[in-house]
Amino acid sequence: MKPQIAPTTVIIVLALFAVVAGGLALVGGLDTQKAKSTAVEEQAKATDAQPVTDCFESRVAYTAVTRTENIVPQYGYPNIKCSPKTSGVLWYGDPFDGTIPMGEMPEVTDATRGDFVNAVVKPREPRLTYFNMGPDGCATCHNGTMVVFPKDKKPRLITMHQDIVANSLQLQHGRGAIWCLDCHSATNRNKLVDRQGREFSFNQPQRLCGSCHGEVYIDWREGIHGKRIGAWATGGKKRWWVCTECHNPHTVQTNRFNPINAELPPPPPKGMKNADHERVGQNEH
Amino acid sequence: MKKILSFVADFGSYAINGGTKYKAWLIFLLFIIVTGFYTAYIQLSEGLIVVGASDQVPMELFFANFIFTAHVAAAAILVVAPGYFYHRKDMKELAVIGEIIAMVFVATGITFILFHMGRPDRLWHMVPFLGYLNFPNSMLVYDTIVLNVYLYLNLIGISYILYKKYVGEFDTKALARWFTPVIYLAIIWGPLIHICTAFVLSSNARMGAWSTAVMPFGFLAMAGASGPSLVILLFLLIRKYSKLHINDSVIDLMSTIIGWSLGIIMLVFAAEYFTALYSNTEHAAPLNYSMFGHNGLNMYVPWFWGTVVTIVVSFVAILNPKIRKSYDRWLPILCVVIFLAILMEKPMMLVFPAFSPSPLGEYTEYHPTFIELYNVVLTWAVGFLSLTLLVKGAVGILTGEVKYSKPVDAA
Amino acid sequence: MSDDRAETNNKKDDVTTSRRDFLKNIGIAGASTLMAGSASAGVPADSPDPDAESTAAEWLQGHFVLMSEEDKKEAINRLEKRYTAKYDKKTTVANTPPLEGVLFGYALNIGKCIGCRRCVHACVQENNQSRTNPVIHWIQVMKIPKGNFAFTADKLNDGYPKSSAFGDYGVQVGGNAYAPVGGLATEHAQSYYSADEMVPDKDYFYVPVQCQQCEKPPCVKACPVRATFRDPNGVVVIDYNWCIGCRMCQLACPYQARRFNWGEPNLPPEEMNPKTHYFGNRPRMRGVMEKCTFCVQRTREGRNPACLEACPVGARKFGNLLDPESDVRKILATKKVFRFKEEMSTYPKFFYYIG
Repeated sequence: MKPQIAPTTVIIVLALFAVVAGGLALVGGLDTQKAKSTAVEEQAKATDAQPVTDCFESRVAYTAVTRTENIVPQYGYPNIKCSPKTSGVLWYGDPFDGTIPMGEMPEVTDATRGDFVNAVVKPREPRLTYFNMGPDGCATCHNGTMVVFPKDKKPRLITMHQDIVANSLQLQHGRGAIWCLDCHSATNRNKLVDRQGREFSFNQPQRLCGSCHGEVYIDWREGIHGKRIGAWATGGKKRWWVCTECHNPHTVQTNRFNPINAELPPPPPKGMKNADHERVGQNEH
Repeated sequence: MKKILSFVADFGSYAINGGTKYKAWLIFLLFIIVTGFYTAYIQLSEGLIVVGASDQVPMELFFANFIFTAHVAAAAILVVAPGYFYHRKDMKELAVIGEIIAMVFVATGITFILFHMGRPDRLWHMVPFLGYLNFPNSMLVYDTIVLNVYLYLNLIGISYILYKKYVGEFDTKALARWFTPVIYLAIIWGPLIHICTAFVLSSNARMGAWSTAVMPFGFLAMAGASGPSLVILLFLLIRKYSKLHINDSVIDLMSTIIGWSLGIIMLVFAAEYFTALYSNTEHAAPLNYSMFGHNGLNMYVPWFWGTVVTIVVSFVAILNPKIRKSYDRWLPILCVVIFLAILMEKPMMLVFPAFSPSPLGEYTEYHPTFIELYNVVLTWAVGFLSLTLLVKGAVGILTGEVKYSKPVDAA
Repeated sequence: MSDDRAETNNKKDDVTTSRRDFLKNIGIAGASTLMAGSASAGVPADSPDPDAESTAAEWLQGHFVLMSEEDKKEAINRLEKRYTAKYDKKTTVANTPPLEGVLFGYALNIGKCIGCRRCVHACVQENNQSRTNPVIHWIQVMKIPKGNFAFTADKLNDGYPKSSAFGDYGVQVGGNAYAPVGGLATEHAQSYYSADEMVPDKDYFYVPVQCQQCEKPPCVKACPVRATFRDPNGVVVIDYNWCIGCRMCQLACPYQARRFNWGEPNLPPEEMNPKTHYFGNRPRMRGVMEKCTFCVQRTREGRNPACLEACPVGARKFGNLLDPESDVRKILATKKVFRFKEEMSTYPKFFYYIG
């Protein structure tokens, strides 16, 4: 009464092999592994190189900073660590390295008052090219004799400092509403000046900028706009970024933000040779 | 004590002895196991870096196979229940084989989970009172508990039945008072392990493809298709190679269950796919990915359609009485096909495509590594080896070939 | 593992201590043989190899939160000693307690983010992630297209189903404006845009995603051993020594914020950050989960997270959500703020805003 089922054993054995073979077919594994390891090596190479010493914080060239070793001896920290790919500053060993107190800020009593108790900034003056060309800053040349003080604020063609503003008759900032001498003091070139004639140091550009850009200035004072590092607590010691550390005051419209290079992406997930599929159909923008 | 020792010795010696084909099968499994120790060692010493998983697709073949073993383990109650709930005489004898399947597959599933874990050495953190369980919250804790309880319930059931039969004291009319609750509990517990396993998956709200209420039902239906397929294959083999008599009615019951289950699987699939595809929101994205691929990534597409077609064809085939009654050719082939289809459905339809798109919109193809595959095969080999030996021994006891004979000096 | 230490432990009534002792009584030798790979041979009671002994002791360690103060100190000393030897620099493992009256919150201005990925690599520098094989980044930056509506007016009648096999109905029900338009719809996001690209690309905007420090974290719910939990400051942290590597949390996280140490992490000693915290950036081991902790080693001591300090455009803001004067609270009060995947009801304390 028992029927013959001789092939059944064979079928089970074959079935197991089928699982193995079916799996192997979809592995394609070995060369994917290779692709992954090259990506890994690339990243390894990037990190193995000597630490980058000449770096920038926000704006290329205008916020240059140099890496110094062993600023925090307890941990052997340098002041900064930079990206070997872009030389952008990635990490602060000491967030207050090279800073000075922010200086006097106007007293505001309403809810938009800032938290300036322990505010420090990185001084702008040492980072300005022309400012550091002589012992007296800009006044080394703009002293009234070597370069005479201008008589009025009327725009005229200037044949100097074209690297800052290419054509002084087409100053972008303010779209023709203002001109150089609305912000730079005509008689004291080491200082900035606002429309009421108050003079500010180059280290405190926010007080000048804030006289026109009030809304942004309020956000900045409250800590919403702009960058601050150091302590997170209200009243803690913070390093504030001032306006000109991120914004170029002369070419504000065209170079709202100068594109910079991105840092390295993560390698594609294991088993993937690349991530090209995520870009399909998105290149026609 | 002497009885127990002789039980173990007789059982063991009967289990490892057999014909040439039987021995070849055992040696084949042993060969895989011995070679598999090497790949297992590599994985244990290098970590999961040697498998194909990534942060985008964190669940590997081990996890997918674990779900499948839960299917088969839960389905084993379909052999036990008819005997004890419906008092079918032809099935009551065979209940112990169902329990063996359940126990072996739960143990295999737990082995898969050990391979799945990043720190198997820290397993003691999950031991109650010794470690610290996140009890009311974590679905994995529930799953661990139900799986272990199921394992021990079946272990108790098997040992009791086989031992009592061995010493010739088994009487279905006078079972030990504690035994009946154990076997009934084991029957109820079968679906429970399954529902818990389904909830381990469907409780993840982020997994759009998994957060569906039909998942436990789909799982139970797949259990009803894959488990009895294995049972039929086993019964046909036992019937052919041993003196144990298995009625055609038993096989027919199993193939009926497979037919019904395949029908329910199709219904569950249809319900799921309709719900997803009619509105075609982001929840349908993983389904679209496995059905049609995404921007040139279409590794899962043949698997998807292959599985769907296989299930439909198997359903139609098993409705045909000629195939259903073809015990020596078509039925075993169909059973192997169904078993493999549902085995492959787990990684290639359920688990891997569900991770694409990831929460951050990444599409990823999963490529298992050789070590991973071999460890899967190793675990299956261990499972099939234990299954073979236990079933062989149990058959010996059921047929009366192995039984306790009083030593001469004891008399 | 001398006997007298076991005795001192017995005096304490702490639950976990007795658990530990229980394990100790099983025997260090037997226990350490169980350890996969790390201690290959059984370590006898007075092993000459201090590393193997500390590994065994670490293996027996209970859940850190439940340990007695004394045991915590011992565990930390053990770690400091091991890290100092391994990375050849004086390493501190802090156990700074959570701060009183503080609920940490983070706000990120997606209007300003330029997608430069500096935060990603700052995080790697600070938090001692594995540099190679596996490469682990806790922050992932999505690049999302702003949308392209450059189709012409004559296509305005395109759409579905303009007509069907059963005839033209003459009533339009579809359109052709299928361009993805930004938002946080992730299906068109690119996470692998090249480092050779200049950012920002004017046709895209950028959304960095890291652990959102949910108030109702699905990962904490999913962890079978409570190795991950929310600390009193609202930050979800992990006891790396208690994690069993089951990855259920990774499965539960709707933000893809969790990263797994698939293999032994590769951290070059010269890049290792020696100022660490037990729940934060101490070097991890193979097979455990890790993720952003809001730089717990910094923020519990008052300093901003590393990603915030690296952001060149000041798009990131961090502070105490219970302090109305904090940056984050002021942003919540004045800007258009939203949470990522709000529909998951995880209540993140990581906010995105515009303006």
